[in-house]
Amino acid sequence: MATKVSALYDDFIRTFGNVLFAVLLFVVWGILTLIGVIVDQGKSATTYFDSYPAAIARAIIRLGFDNIYHSPWYVGIIGLILVSLTVCTFKRVIPARLPPLRPVKIDKIPLNASIYVRGSEASVRDRVESFFRSRGWSVRKREFGGEEWTFADKHNWARRGVLIAHLGFVIIAAGTTVYWAHGFSGETAIVTGQAVRIPETNAILKLDSFRYKITPILTKSGMVYQPTDYVSNVTVTGRDGIPKQMLVRVNHPIDIDGTLYYQASYGFATRMRVTHDGVNVASLSDRVLEEGEAFDIPGTRNTLVYDRFVPTVDKQSGMPAADPRVNDPAVILSVQQNGETAGTALVPLHTWIDLGNGWRVSPERYLLYSGFQYRYDPGIPLVGIGSLVLLSGLIISFYFLPARLYVRVDPSEAGCTVGVAAMTVKGYDIFAGQFQALLQDLQSSMEPPGPNPHLRKAEAY
Amino acid sequence: MIVAIASYVVGGLALLVYFFSRETWLRNLGAPLAIVGCVAQFAQLIVRYEITGIWPLLNLYGSLSLFAAMSVAIFIGFAIRYKLWFAGGFVLAIAAIFLAYGVTWNEGTMPPVPSLQSYWAKIHVPIVVSSYAAFLVAFVFSCVYLIKYYAEQRIANATVVASAALEGGGTVTVATPALSAAAAGGNPLAQWLETLPSLAQLDVIVYRAVAIGLPLISLGIITGAAWAKEAWGAYWQWDPKETAALCTWIIYLAYMHLHTRNAWRGLRTNWISVGGFVLVIFTYLGVNIWISGLHSYKM
Repeated sequence: MATKVSALYDDFIRTFGNVLFAVLLFVVWGILTLIGVIVDQGKSATTYFDSYPAAIARAIIRLGFDNIYHSPWYVGIIGLILVSLTVCTFKRVIPARLPPLRPVKIDKIPLNASIYVRGSEASVRDRVESFFRSRGWSVRKREFGGEEWTFADKHNWARRGVLIAHLGFVIIAAGTTVYWAHGFSGETAIVTGQAVRIPETNAILKLDSFRYKITPILTKSGMVYQPTDYVSNVTVTGRDGIPKQMLVRVNHPIDIDGTLYYQASYGFATRMRVTHDGVNVASLSDRVLEEGEAFDIPGTRNTLVYDRFVPTVDKQSGMPAADPRVNDPAVILSVQQNGETAGTALVPLHTWIDLGNGWRVSPERYLLYSGFQYRYDPGIPLVGIGSLVLLSGLIISFYFLPARLYVRVDPSEAGCTVGVAAMTVKGYDIFAGQFQALLQDLQSSMEPPGPNPHLRKAEAY
Repeated sequence: MIVAIASYVVGGLALLVYFFSRETWLRNLGAPLAIVGCVAQFAQLIVRYEITGIWPLLNLYGSLSLFAAMSVAIFIGFAIRYKLWFAGGFVLAIAAIFLAYGVTWNEGTMPPVPSLQSYWAKIHVPIVVSSYAAFLVAFVFSCVYLIKYYAEQRIANATVVASAALEGGGTVTVATPALSAAAAGGNPLAQWLETLPSLAQLDVIVYRAVAIGLPLISLGIITGAAWAKEAWGAYWQWDPKETAALCTWIIYLAYMHLHTRNAWRGLRTNWISVGGFVLVIFTYLGVNIWISGLHSYKM
């Protein structure tokens, strides 16, 4: 049993510690993310059946691809990546990036050279050590099996770049987990003059006024009506119970007791006058409907839907115009019977429309409403820190090249042979040019010009 | 704009011919034109900003202008540092195409919509566009790598076949000749291939270009998230643009990881670089134009 568990553990470590497995997880993560780009998220089943062949639509819904970023697949792949990252960090990255000082077979390493230097072994060792120190290398000496080795390191601290990047990723994941556990978000629309209580915080927001600015611009494609400003004047009452006047604008959210409120949208609510057999129906006439809202017509199977507000009606065609400024407003009303649309009409303000069975309705006035999104996210500091840590790790990994030189001085006839090999964390090619230059420098600093360094796989670049 | 496009076209043609012929006067013509075009583009962007007071990168026309300019600028940096002018024709040609396409999106100067009225527009957009430009440079050199790799393979295979035919059958032991041997033997393709940097050197150049692009796109995603938090309430809303940028980040992350493996460094990572740039184009243009979302230009 113990052997089985041990074997299972070894397999687990071998698999999750494999860089290729990690990359495979990246590929799956990328594919799932791309699916979410291509397949519209959060739509109704009908939308998918309308947009795709039935088999694909069914697959989208059954596999959870309609909400893929919150699906078990997506959360699962992130989890697997975190596990792989952890195993790779301890089993692969740390041993590879932070190798102990140990002797190597110099001539077996692709980047290696040997030069002949006159002088005693002790003096050559000292001169070699001084040379590397003077060029910013950190030099250490160790003895192995009676032989003295010199190790020269550059940018040793940068070996931890990958560890830092990995840590950043973990911190980001922690931050998003904190939001899932303790954060909340929501949205609300407030009609001018009305107040709402936010259920999660009990804060009260009253919309005093909303204004927007549209700028018409003539382009080569025609007249374009560019929105340039949306501003909500609100009175907010937080935990302290003191009402405060505040301004909410896009890119300028307000903070109420740690929850941020954002200007998200706006629309036009309408108050209708509803009569039955000539008598005003107060319960329906007092209502203010936002776009998309509806009410049932009593005693009938009909539902009146306020589809949308039309700021400007083109006088010539009688159809909605492109101008979003309120010039000649109307509303689009539709009547539904048993969920099916029975009729639609464009109804100017203060115009009566007959719904049948004695019912009549007239849109009387419009009121602007402002749409807000609110969010409480205690994980943001962690996500922010994690992002910067990840970025730092990437920059360190990319822009600093930790290199280690292995130097051995062997006495020979009337002098010494200095063998040098170089290894970096990014292979040999990237360091070949620098290695050649370094060895030529070493050669010329040791003594008058002698035989050229015997170099392998060190190309001028 | 006209100066930039004209410079890119003429300079690009000169450098394209230089890629094959290696006549110095072509490089001496193309290199300065690349610099002139690049400077003209940056000047045009600055002047637009000075005259209109509106940040020019808020629409596709402006951002494509910066993309073209930064691609050429990054390439010029590489070319001067590593003597890589031979690839300039490809970079200038692609830059000219994107610039010309961007002009079709020029609707004149329009005040920004409220969500774009933020200092983040001056930070996030240039960073992201610059990352795309760096990936373009990586893509070009990856293509050069692949051309050289497969051409070398072809030379090696052709030489083996030719030697076997000369031997007239029987057991033929033919050591595949190195590129230099083929060039010494008068093979014109081999001689031309020898004028290019070695495969190892090309791979390092691609790595260095990705080393510019990946941190930049990381910073671009971070700054984009910070802006999204201010504008829309959440730093990540799984908007198509955000997720496509994440996909691009993932593919170059895979590149970076695979580049640490000897067996994957070279041919395979360069193919990944090519695939990555295809995704960059989808992220940059496809999402903006074909998919509705918070970053959409789709009408």
